[in-house]
Amino acid sequence: MGISRRNFFKILSVAGAATATARTPARAWESQAPSEAYGCIVDLTRCIGCRKCEQACNEVNKLPPPDRSFEDLTVLDRKRRPDEKTFTVVNRYYSGRIDERDQLIPTFVKLQCMHCQDPACASACIVGALSKQENGAVNYDVSKCIGCRYCMVACPFEIPAYEYHDPITPRVMKCTFCYERVANEGKLPGCAEICPVEAITFGRRDTLLKVARDRIKENPGRYVDHIYGEHEAGGTSWMYLSAQPFEKLGFVTLPDHPMPRLAETIQHSLYSYLWSPIVLFGMLSGIMWAFRGKGERQEDHEGGNL
Amino acid sequence: MSHHHAAPTHSKFWTPGVVALAFVAAVGLVAIIARYIGGIGYVSNLSTARPWGLWIGVDVASGVALAAGGFTTAFLAHILGKHYYEPVVRPALLTAMLGYTFVVLGLLVDIGRSWAIWKPMIYWNFNSVLFEVAMCVMFYLNVLYIEFLPMVIERFKGRVRLPGAPDALNRAIDSLLALADKVLSKIMWVFIIAGVVLSCMHQSSLGALMLIAPTKLHPLWYTPILPLLFLTSAIAVGYPMVVFEATLATTSLKLDSEMKILTPLTRFTVFLLGIYLALKVGDMVIRKTYVYLLDGTSQTNAFLIEMVIGVLAPWLMLLSPKVRQSRRWLFIACTMVVGGVLLNRVNVFVVGYRPPVSETNYFPSIGEVAITAGLIAGLMLIYRFLVTHLPVLNKPEKEVIA
Amino acid sequence: MIPKVPAWNRLRRRLTLTNLNSAVPLGLVFMALTVGMGIQLPARAMAAAAPPEAETAKAPEAAAWSAPDQVDAQKRAQEVVPFVAEVRDECKLCRQQRLRDEGLGVKDQSHSYLLLDSPIIKRTEDRYGPVRFMHSKHATITQDCALCHHFRPADESASETVRCSACHQDAFRQDHPERIGLKAAYHQQCIACHEEMAKGPVGCIGCHQKNAPDHKDLVQLPANPEPSQVTSECLRCHESAGKDMLSSAHWLWKGPSPFTLDHRKAVHHGKATTAVNNF
Ligand code: SF4
Ligand code: SF4
Ligand code: SF4
Repeated sequence: MGISRRNFFKILSVAGAATATARTPARAWESQAPSEAYGCIVDLTRCIGCRKCEQACNEVNKLPPPDRSFEDLTVLDRKRRPDEKTFTVVNRYYSGRIDERDQLIPTFVKLQCMHCQDPACASACIVGALSKQENGAVNYDVSKCIGCRYCMVACPFEIPAYEYHDPITPRVMKCTFCYERVANEGKLPGCAEICPVEAITFGRRDTLLKVARDRIKENPGRYVDHIYGEHEAGGTSWMYLSAQPFEKLGFVTLPDHPMPRLAETIQHSLYSYLWSPIVLFGMLSGIMWAFRGKGERQEDHEGGNL
Repeated sequence: MSHHHAAPTHSKFWTPGVVALAFVAAVGLVAIIARYIGGIGYVSNLSTARPWGLWIGVDVASGVALAAGGFTTAFLAHILGKHYYEPVVRPALLTAMLGYTFVVLGLLVDIGRSWAIWKPMIYWNFNSVLFEVAMCVMFYLNVLYIEFLPMVIERFKGRVRLPGAPDALNRAIDSLLALADKVLSKIMWVFIIAGVVLSCMHQSSLGALMLIAPTKLHPLWYTPILPLLFLTSAIAVGYPMVVFEATLATTSLKLDSEMKILTPLTRFTVFLLGIYLALKVGDMVIRKTYVYLLDGTSQTNAFLIEMVIGVLAPWLMLLSPKVRQSRRWLFIACTMVVGGVLLNRVNVFVVGYRPPVSETNYFPSIGEVAITAGLIAGLMLIYRFLVTHLPVLNKPEKEVIA
Repeated sequence: MIPKVPAWNRLRRRLTLTNLNSAVPLGLVFMALTVGMGIQLPARAMAAAAPPEAETAKAPEAAAWSAPDQVDAQKRAQEVVPFVAEVRDECKLCRQQRLRDEGLGVKDQSHSYLLLDSPIIKRTEDRYGPVRFMHSKHATITQDCALCHHFRPADESASETVRCSACHQDAFRQDHPERIGLKAAYHQQCIACHEEMAKGPVGCIGCHQKNAPDHKDLVQLPANPEPSQVTSECLRCHESAGKDMLSSAHWLWKGPSPFTLDHRKAVHHGKATTAVNNF
């Protein structure tokens, strides 16, 4: 206790000094998005629902073998979500479009972590176990994690999953953007590499945005004029192109501003250099000093005058 | 601080009620053991979409809110110097101390890597609201223990008689206690103020936790002023919680009902609860969320119950001096306030939390309920044990303890 | 299981001598038998459309000859030609019109059979065998070169039509981010057209043979395994194949077998009744 008390005072006095020298008002919130971020465009008009990306993801991330083979396309009959054993899943949607032979045209949607530009999960994480890397990946460092699962609460896409059945060392599980492969081995993300139709295009995010806009411009009839992830939640590294309105394909409608902005603004404007606690502390000391000794006469102050 | 007459109650410990509590605590313990063998998934209904459930909503959020009696009474009695209220400070402090201890125990069960709970001390993320909450709770818990020390010292000072220990040792401990007593009474003001500051910080930040998930929290609760609402409601629930707990304790331990203190105490509540009510209603009007009120979903119904039964009705009741003077009605009104704030925390963290993508429903499992109930029962047991043996509660005026 | 050696030899001779085309099935049958007897073959041999050299080891008679167009196609598939960076910007209709005007058409094709396979694709993965592509057949049916040869190199001296892998090579090129890679070019073109015409395969194994993983490491058998051990080892992974087998005619057939020694009149002779490893 002695130690924590001393620490406490140390922090207070350091912070006090800091406040005294630099009483700057909290600066406006700024995005921390890296400028050289990589990303992927998932072109839903190309995806054929073969589940090869799921298979490659499973292999490169050394995930446990699936319950049903990756070649079993009946898995698509049910909507799935990424979970602690699967970083990416493909779902099938029928949006009502039919072809010349009156067959419903399916649209397949691959889901994984969006690797947000200003990720809510990383802002929320109590220990900073999740962090946005220079190359765009939102990386998870299990050695810091305490398992509070605030990242899961924060993620607007409901992506991170948890190894709930591990009693002692559970991990948060989500797509890694194949961080090791991309950053250290110079390879492509497993899913982007294997996709037979290049439904997943890997590249620099700014280049991808140009590519995506060109695709929409050249085939206006093929795409809805919306790049999902360009602005959603302040922008994401993974983005989508589609022939159908995204709401019909299970995509959440999100505000354009980054999720962490409000909370971080409040946090920083109240607690930068701990100014507000220090001011409060000073005020309360003042009050305490002012009322010192006055209380003795309060004895009968409430007695009968109710 | 030394002129009121708190004393150990020395009443019988094992009453039927206590046995029942012990049983609930034991069941909770079994569930906790199961959690550490099979994992969180084995005892709970938590999932990817619903990572936080009963444990965070009740054990942590409500626990923190209901421990607000500690800093609100300390503010009144020690900072504003209204020593008249001194008798309720100690029990409130004890509740706060135990409450926070159990918040931490609840957290230990809830976080996946309990053994890693110290990591936020070295890995800092200043962007994280949870980081701030954790730091405040950690410091505040220490402050609470320090504030509680005088009661231990008072009990044993000059009376240290360790069985079988040589006289010299007993005397050494004794003088140590005397020294601590002297030092503590000199610097206690720092801790009292620090306690209030830390409380204000994390009570409000607990509300800020949900600000990062605007799409998940029902608009009836999601508002940028959520931290302010959490702070005002915590302050408002402080005195009702004292009343609630004092009434229970004095009834069960057959002590004096302390109405002389409780009645005036709740006059402040009328004012504080009024502020909270005004903020809540004002926020609803400004953000035009009243359109949801009659949706009839479980969320909106929970909101209506929270507001009407938990805030509005007890506020109206407390307005009347008659209610404030009647022991029973005061208890009822205060229980409603306590329930209202508890429901508010549960609503924000559990009921109002609707992940839009997976839209999974969540209902706590038997294991989760058992652990939460077990922790609360354990808390009550320790409370009872401590007031039996330490000078916490006010000495009954009618009887004289030998 | 006691292999009926004379009968088996006779069968093999008949198959190999009379029908060269049966080399592949024979290879399979032979392999199945050798695997069954505990001899572990290199993995590639497990692929049904195994290239000739895989068969040489087991069926020397068959390896002596290979179709010249197959050899050609294999050689061609291994070539990597210089990348065509710029293409002439013309719309599909203009291109079709121009090809007609210049008198270019289906009759001008130089290769009627191609193997769709390339080291460019193999650089990143190798899960499926090459696709046999009847260029002339596709040309005759569609009567439209521009369906696939949708652009021409900007360089005037280059040939009017070039192979797919001239323009489509590695995926995600930084200098041409809009250009899709070879694998995607094949798949997008084939699948989209097959779907549109409601003709031709659209799934993986409609065109490819799957490269089976190397069974050398997968199969775990003692040095001299019992036949039943072998079967159960197969079933360890191929459980559903085992179940399918139980409802196949091969398994269910019962009757006399006039050519099998000692079983000429047995009415109940059959895989399920008298074979040994039916457990
Ligand atoms: S999608 Fe979720 S988990 Fe992925 S980076 Fe964004 S907030 Fe984090
Ligand atoms: S669960 Fe781990 S990664 Fe997620 S917020 Fe908590 S500490 Fe960070
Ligand atoms: S980027 Fe890597 S981890 Fe993420 S879905 Fe693709 S293969 Fe899986």
